[in-house]
Amino acid sequence: MPQGDYIELHRRRHGRRLDHEERLRKREAREPRRIAERSRTLTGIRAKLHNRERFRDKVRLRKAAAVQAQRQARRRQGAGGRDEDGEERRVVEGALPAYLLDREETQRAKILSNTIKEKRKEKGGKWSVPLPRVRPLADDEIFRVVRTGKKSKKREWKRMVTKMSFVGDSYTRKPPKYERFIRPMGLRVKRANVTHPELKATFSLDIIGVKKNPSGPMYTQLGVVTRGTIVEVNVSELGLVTTSGKVVWGKYAQVTNNPEVDGTVNAVLLV
Amino acid sequence: MVVANLKAIQRVPEAADLLDIVLSQTQRKTPTVVHKGYPIQRIRAFYMRKVRYAQSTFHERLSRILSDFPVVDDVHPFYGDLINVLYDRDHYKLALGQVHRARSLMDAVARDYVRLLKYADSLYRAKSLKRAALGRMGTMAKRLAPCLAYLEQVRQHMARLPSIDPNTRTLLVAGAPNVGKSSFLNSVTRADVDVQPYAFTTQSLFVGHMDYHYLRWQVIDTPGVLDRELEQRNTIEMQAITALAHLRAAVLFFVDPSEQCGYPMAQQLRLFHSLRPLFGDKPLLLVCNKVDLGWEHTLDAETWRAVEAAAADTGAELMKMSATGDADRESVYAVRNRACERLLEVRVSQRMTQRRSDAVLNRLHVAMPPQTRPPVIPESVWAARQAQREAGAAAAAVPPPRLTEKQREEQMGGAGVYSMDWRKLYDLRESEWRYDIMPEVVDGKNLADYVDADILERLDALERDEEARLAALEAREGMETEEGEEEQRRARAIVRAATERRILRQRRAARERSQNPSVPPARLRSRSVSSRGPARRHPPGVGVPRSLQTASRPPTAAVALRQVHGVRDMKQAAKARRLFEQSRRKAFASREHRQGEWDRFIAVKKPKHLYAGKMSLGTRHHR
Ligand SMILES: Nc1nc2c(ncn2[C@@H]2O[C@H](COP(=O)(O)OP(=O)(O)OP(=O)(O)O)[C@@H](O)[C@H]2O)c(=O)[nH]1
Ligand SMILES: [Mg+2]
Repeated sequence: MPQGDYIELHRRRHGRRLDHEERLRKREAREPRRIAERSRTLTGIRAKLHNRERFRDKVRLRKAAAVQAQRQARRRQGAGGRDEDGEERRVVEGALPAYLLDREETQRAKILSNTIKEKRKEKGGKWSVPLPRVRPLADDEIFRVVRTGKKSKKREWKRMVTKMSFVGDSYTRKPPKYERFIRPMGLRVKRANVTHPELKATFSLDIIGVKKNPSGPMYTQLGVVTRGTIVEVNVSELGLVTTSGKVVWGKYAQVTNNPEVDGTVNAVLLV
Repeated sequence: MVVANLKAIQRVPEAADLLDIVLSQTQRKTPTVVHKGYPIQRIRAFYMRKVRYAQSTFHERLSRILSDFPVVDDVHPFYGDLINVLYDRDHYKLALGQVHRARSLMDAVARDYVRLLKYADSLYRAKSLKRAALGRMGTMAKRLAPCLAYLEQVRQHMARLPSIDPNTRTLLVAGAPNVGKSSFLNSVTRADVDVQPYAFTTQSLFVGHMDYHYLRWQVIDTPGVLDRELEQRNTIEMQAITALAHLRAAVLFFVDPSEQCGYPMAQQLRLFHSLRPLFGDKPLLLVCNKVDLGWEHTLDAETWRAVEAAAADTGAELMKMSATGDADRESVYAVRNRACERLLEVRVSQRMTQRRSDAVLNRLHVAMPPQTRPPVIPESVWAARQAQREAGAAAAAVPPPRLTEKQREEQMGGAGVYSMDWRKLYDLRESEWRYDIMPEVVDGKNLADYVDADILERLDALERDEEARLAALEAREGMETEEGEEEQRRARAIVRAATERRILRQRRAARERSQNPSVPPARLRSRSVSSRGPARRHPPGVGVPRSLQTASRPPTAAVALRQVHGVRDMKQAAKARRLFEQSRRKAFASREHRQGEWDRFIAVKKPKHLYAGKMSLGTRHHR
């Protein structure tokens, strides 16, 4: 069994084979052909992966080309002086010095953004939340009918919630006969991934309760968590403090994804 | 130990590769098309299967990594410390720990999503859940990237570690850099280690193998060690220290009194003293290398005295050697042989003190051939030779070879004209019996059924009995006339005859009784060709199966040897014998044991339930 750096040792003693460089060069030169061959023949998932890779390569090339083109353009119409290659730069008429370049633009941008903000405020009304409008959910989207009981199969039926729901720790089930709504164990949530919009950081926090479900008060009562729902989360881990110096532990957050589709609850903290 | 395992670790894929492998495998190995009419249950199962498949593939891949890499605490301490020195034990453990954690997290994610999939009520929702599950597992795999890269590097390095067996006979070469350690290894083994005239040529452990005294030895070359604190030593030096600390080997400490290596003698001796705790009670040789440079004459006496004192202090043997200057390697082999002998002594004496050695020694028997073994020449050949010698040159002509029947047939006119005489050389008691006719069936009865092997004996006994009776009768009639002594003799003869008869009867009864299935009954057995026909006239022992000739044979030499094999003394042998008899008696006591479960037995040839009924579309009528 070879031991130590045997490859290096062999190279030191005997060198590489004589046509090593040539072989390397040829292999490199053949590379485009190999890629073309693969592009032609691959199918299925491999073709997908290959194409993805090719696409990335192309984007990289295009970006590099754009950078290069920009540099050349600047060189052609540059603001006098000499560039790195020592060529003289030509001065274009009406050119501004670098320190004056972005003055006008900033002013314009400011005006624009201000108007947009104004408009938003008017529209948003009193609820200025990250997701001001969501599609209302119908009953039959949220509930599924479950027939139960032996004797009166036709009459008695329950409804099962098909969305994720939050059920507090202290909840006790009613006796099955009087239980109208079933919230299955598999669809219950306890934690949410909450993003702090200013810190730009995400934390996994405990849900305390459902404050409001936009689709209706009944869903709020049932603790159904859908997109746009406002939930209260436990932020004591974050160590937030009120202006008066008290530690904040409950805070509202709005759900931004469809939990029943993603399997997790993502939310944005309302600050 | 795990020596072989270090080389057998499989390649660790990069994180991106791992992801590609798993996703494409999931794609290839699970169904890919959902048709329009599928009920929701089937759609759910379709996606659950994908999630589970991806998870199990990830699990399998990561488990293989975990099982391939050796656990530091489980391997021999030499390898444990080597791993610590080379790869940093903490880093190594952390990397494996992260892989383990990722594996269990992936399992948990898959479990959660499979549960959610049970409540999926549309194709869209099921598919999204599958996407989310695979995505989360993929993210975890990507986070493993640095760990996997590190483990791959470790694997590649481990594959190049020398396969050192920590328990075998080992010579360990140590010393300051550039003193000629590798030169020694190259000259006693076929290992091709790099030798250069500068320090730190050897950067890792190297192993070579050689034969001495018909045994396999491994010689380990270590990197040079500098004389400094343990904490300051670098990875290269620490490998040498690890080997010194953990291998039970003969240590050859090399010094170079010519100081050509670049380290003064005083420094080399300081190193020797500082390494002293590591030598322990291993056989130690202090080897002064490069004698050919002539340092014996130029070295000042004081330094040499210091060397001798160092050797005397540690109980080391002082030897002079030249690794490269000696054309016939006499001094090299002298050093090697001395080291091997010392180690062998130590190992053998350790072995002998262990209790385990008894088991081996008891089993050993050294067979000595008799001093002289003259060739065995049969009497007849000897006589023939003698006769030939006496007849002298005249009769020295070669005696004509004996004609075989085949040759005779050819001489006499070939097949059909001459028929071979097979019976001519039959070896019977009376030579005229040879041509007797031997019918197989007489009066419609198979003659072999009526063959009695010891009819002659019985007849003999019967006659003797009759004689004895007659004699007794006469004796009683002429009691007055005969002497008392004569009468007594006769009476004794009667008793003897009666006893013989009884013995014969018993033997016969025993034979008839024996129902041992491995031996057919005597009646059938005697039907063999050799005993067919006039066998009744054969002398006892001809044509009769050997097993019947004597009721009890003395145990053969091999059996006797086996009975005392591996036991301490005759008493223990007797006990073993007794226990064996007991167990055998128990095992064969009842008739039920005659047929065991190993006997081939087919109760029902074609069981109905396996051949009847329908089996289509994966359903069958029975389990
Ligand atoms: N004259 C002479 N030179 C020797 C002898 N043994 C070794 N050398 C030389 O000493 C130099 C160092 O030998 P190595 O075998 O590489 O020494 P080393 O102890 O393995 O060195 P490191 O691996 O760096 O620790 C080489 O140039 C050898 O030719 C010897 O017996 N006589
Ligand atoms: Mg060396």
